[in-house]
Amino acid sequence: MEDTLNDASSLAIELAPARQRRPMLEIAGLCKSFGALEVLRDVSVVVSPGEVVVVIGPSGSGKTTLLRCINLLEEYERGTIAVDGEPIGYRTDGRSGRRARMSEREIARARERIGMVFQSFNLFPHMNVLQNIVAAPVRVRRIERRQAEARARELLAMVGLSDKVAEYPIRLSGGQQQRVAIARALAMDPKIMLFDEVTSALDPELVGEVLAAMQQLAGDGMTMVVVTHEMSFARDIADRILFIDGGVIVEEGKPDQLLFAPQTERVGAFLKRYNDRYRI
Amino acid sequence: MKELGPLIHSFWYLLRGAGMTVLMATSAVVPATLLGVLLALLHVFGGWLLRSAILGYLFLIRGIPLLVLLTFVYYLMPLTGIDLPPFWGVVLVISLYYAAFVSEVFRAGILSLPQAQWDAARSLGMTRRLMLQIVVLPQALRLSAPPYVSLCVSLVKATSLVSIVGLWELTMASREVVERTLAPFQIFIGAAAIYFCICYTLALYGRHLERRVLLGH
Repeated sequence: MEDTLNDASSLAIELAPARQRRPMLEIAGLCKSFGALEVLRDVSVVVSPGEVVVVIGPSGSGKTTLLRCINLLEEYERGTIAVDGEPIGYRTDGRSGRRARMSEREIARARERIGMVFQSFNLFPHMNVLQNIVAAPVRVRRIERRQAEARARELLAMVGLSDKVAEYPIRLSGGQQQRVAIARALAMDPKIMLFDEVTSALDPELVGEVLAAMQQLAGDGMTMVVVTHEMSFARDIADRILFIDGGVIVEEGKPDQLLFAPQTERVGAFLKRYNDRYRI
Repeated sequence: MKELGPLIHSFWYLLRGAGMTVLMATSAVVPATLLGVLLALLHVFGGWLLRSAILGYLFLIRGIPLLVLLTFVYYLMPLTGIDLPPFWGVVLVISLYYAAFVSEVFRAGILSLPQAQWDAARSLGMTRRLMLQIVVLPQALRLSAPPYVSLCVSLVKATSLVSIVGLWELTMASREVVERTLAPFQIFIGAAAIYFCICYTLALYGRHLERRVLLGH
């Protein structure tokens, strides 16, 4: 992929395939701090279309912050983020190198195609399931209501909640709420989906149904960045795992390699502690 | 039964006074609410200049009794040359006064909405205006409904103060009847009962709203 992109002549000749292979997400030199605390230090990640990248690491390592920077729920101080070639958040002037924040409207537009699912579901409690799902497609993307509702029903069928269309979130279990949240994000027809510890707030017996929905999504070719503590799930779903600690990517690799033959001591120690506790 | 005579005779008169009380309260509660919501929004989302101006207004209102304000405006009005009928004058004062408290109630409602709701709305590409319109305000208004209703109750009772500046409503009507009949206890017990019925009905409605809020919708 990189050679195609770097090779100007092949770019010119094979424009279409080159565009196809353009990374879906490109983070370069990302730095972010909360006051004096540096949370992310020069993080660079490239995610190809259809790739599932799982981010693991101890709590407080910057995983969630990294994810939240991608759709600018967090501001960042340095670096660039581009989704499908479109920068989000800040534009850097090529010549002067000056960095300018995009307007709120531009940022909102960029967010439309970045789906996000949160640890605490964050459904809108005053709307029923269907309203939760169609609100943004209808009001933000201006899709016709009937069409949006048809799509919502499809998505609900996909996550196995066809019978909950008219329920309010408070009447649903955590697992059901989280699956509605996934459907809500998918209804915007996102190019990439971000999952922020989406099973951490769930009872153990409800985790499976959410993971199954994500598995299916990955199978359908969705580009995904997943922050999780579920190691066995990470192994099953990931094309690549990133291990973050102290705001830097300590190690990255294929699941089997990173989880069973880590190259760095830090990852080995983390996994050993994890295994001692959970025995995957 | 004979002691209740003066009350029974003048009950219709008192009820007409109560009608005026309700009219005055309703006339004041609408602008107070609209202005209160506006102030709350500007207080939460406005720039620092606007926020300090609103904060100053809130401090001022909180530190001045309504009765003093009413009397002050009563004497002020002729001097300024503003020729407003007394009824609308007091409605204006009560509205401005209660707008401050309404704004605090709604501001608390907006601020008590979890950050996660904002995050979810933003992640769906909503602009700030749309977020406010379909996510934040519907929930904030719902959350503030119960304290808002108790403010309305307090507003109804506050209208009794306007009798001091000579406006006719339930309290004024009662005082007139007392002067005529010299039966202050009977008449004021009657007036109190009427006030109680109005306010208790409102409070019951507030309790009903509260239950709905607690249930989620």
